[in-house]
Amino acid sequence: MIPVRCFTCGKVISPAYEEFKHRRDAGEDPKKILDDLGMDRYCCRRMLLTHKEIIDDINPYQ
Amino acid sequence: MDIIFNRLDENSCRFQIGPVNTAFANSFRRAMIGEVPTLAIEDVRIYDNTSALFDEILAHRIGLIPITTDLSGYVKREECSCNGEGCPACRAMFTMSVEGPGMVYSRDLIPEDPATIPAYDNIPIVKLTKDQKVVVEAHAILSTGKMHAKWQPTTACGYKNYPLITIGEACDGCGQCVEECPRVVLEVHGARVKVVPGRIEECSLCGLCEKACLGSGIGEEPAIKVSFEKKRYIFVVEGDGSLPVKQIIVHGLQFIKDQSEELKERIGEISGGTGDEKQE
Ligand code: SF4
Ligand code: SF4
Ligand SMILES: [Zn+2]
Ligand SMILES: [Zn+2]
Repeated sequence: MIPVRCFTCGKVISPAYEEFKHRRDAGEDPKKILDDLGMDRYCCRRMLLTHKEIIDDINPYQ
Repeated sequence: MDIIFNRLDENSCRFQIGPVNTAFANSFRRAMIGEVPTLAIEDVRIYDNTSALFDEILAHRIGLIPITTDLSGYVKREECSCNGEGCPACRAMFTMSVEGPGMVYSRDLIPEDPATIPAYDNIPIVKLTKDQKVVVEAHAILSTGKMHAKWQPTTACGYKNYPLITIGEACDGCGQCVEECPRVVLEVHGARVKVVPGRIEECSLCGLCEKACLGSGIGEEPAIKVSFEKKRYIFVVEGDGSLPVKQIIVHGLQFIKDQSEELKERIGEISGGTGDEKQE
């Protein structure tokens, strides 16, 4: 699951992840998406950029 | 001391403050981060959790959700008349009961007090598949950022000195500094360089323009000099949604005032004076 807040500054970044993922998978430039989503600082930007969602991979083994 | 706001929204602001010294600026920053109380979920009672996340992780994620706080409505648990047992005056209750498949969001936390709700309703907590279930009861209490970061009302909260850029007679308008400046603070104006109107506050005091000027072969001393006003500060305060930034600022200042007054009183007790006497 995407962390609720940015590790560094504490900004609540998790609500932006679904839109980020959706638009990135549609081929949009991540820089533009992050700017649109109001992620000004690079600490918050890396939270979304570098996240790998694994919940769907581990759910079958519950 | 005066405060001039450049920008003031519900959740972020930028202002300059002066004349104050560094000690005050820093204690103001620390008061806003660590001493302004907010509500955050501290205890989670888990009745059922068959999701992929461990109970602890689930509780941690729920704890990080900012909760809108009415400071007049709650008292700290240790100061409450219930002696820390928990009552409506010192805790806000939430219940959550969700069955999969689907995502559990912060809006699924059903508050007991309709004025005390998650500041964002779309924070994903955990994704459930078919037959998975989460049933919890969560208690939010009032505390401060020095106990745990989840009680900080601020996210980014910091200051810098007010920049001061002086351009000397030696400047020949070569434009080297303009090219080097990462914040677009400078521009060439005729045969001289000058600060772009309204952008002086963007300067980060990095000094790259000075270096560029030296590199342009001007001699021993750069024509442009970057320094700062010692008694003026630019603050940026960003809230996490639990309190409006205006309240964070007011409560931060109030905290400093209360502390100073207490100190004055204590010193008065020891010295036998009122603390208002003039120093020789
Ligand atoms: S100190 Fe840095 S930011 Fe400020 S004007 Fe010079 S190059 Fe630009
Ligand atoms: S680099 Fe120095 S000489 Fe050239 S424009 Fe800037 S201040 Fe003037
Ligand atoms: Zn951040
Ligand atoms: Zn109580």
